[in-house]
Amino acid sequence: MNDDFEQRLQRQPLRQVPAEWREEILAAAGRVSKVESREPMAHWPSTVVTRLLALLWPNPQAWAGLAAVWILILTVDFSMRDKLPVMAEKSAPPPPEVIVELKQQQRLLVELMGPRDTRDADRSKSLAPRPRSELDIEILTA
Amino acid sequence: MRGPDLRRLYDEHAQPLYAFILNLTRNEADTRDLFQEVFVKLARNPDLLAGVRSERAFLIRLAHNAAIDLMRRHGTRDKTREQFAAEKISLFAPTNEPDEELFRAELSVALAELPAEQRAVMHLKLWEGLTFEQIAATLEIPPNTAASRYRYGLDKLRNRLRLLYEEIK
Repeated sequence: MNDDFEQRLQRQPLRQVPAEWREEILAAAGRVSKVESREPMAHWPSTVVTRLLALLWPNPQAWAGLAAVWILILTVDFSMRDKLPVMAEKSAPPPPEVIVELKQQQRLLVELMGPRDTRDADRSKSLAPRPRSELDIEILTA
Repeated sequence: MRGPDLRRLYDEHAQPLYAFILNLTRNEADTRDLFQEVFVKLARNPDLLAGVRSERAFLIRLAHNAAIDLMRRHGTRDKTREQFAAEKISLFAPTNEPDEELFRAELSVALAELPAEQRAVMHLKLWEGLTFEQIAATLEIPPNTAASRYRYGLDKLRNRLRLLYEEIK
């Protein structure tokens, strides 16, 4: 229940809003309304930024760290890609001296390993599928 | 999309909004800025009032939030300015009756000395005639908080104005 003091306070008339504000404020609001309706997509970058900020706001340092890691990964990835063709070029055409050297080494290897190879080859031929009894005779007579 | 009828909104709600914002800011220029900010917000978001039960309560909430933001931005550096402004700008209409003029001037200063939260509740209760439940819904606070802020504020005003009030009663 209101007492006299409260009632007295309630009776105090409040200051009137200045009359000239009406047109000024409505004009300002009207200008914004026109701009917004004329350019509905004009402020989409700021909207995107605002939403992005709202998304990242809870932990900006963590997101920044994650972004830095990704940038590092991508940088390393691109730098590796740049080197691959170089490596391919290096291994592609061996010089003629190397080819000659390699052929000589190959020949030497064949000479050194030749007899054992032929014996092995013969043995493999002799072990062609045949009845077990014939095999045993051959081994005993060898 | 068709926006809200800003002229109608202005004509219906400008006066109470103006008094409410002025009571919070105690500065005519800030009041003007916040007042415009509310209407620009309405123009920019045509659906803002869609589904709103009480336009007045919604507009007061917008104005209150904008005023609180402004006061936080100004911070303590503007307290002196606020107090100075409080002495210069009266919240009440001028009158030719000397006792009444003095009472209004003192009441305006006494109100300015209250914390903004108490001032907002007192304004809505005394000059908007809202119930504590309505004030609570408007300012997004519990009804008990609204009631206690009102009681504290009223007691402070009563103590502050006791002598003058007894004298001119």
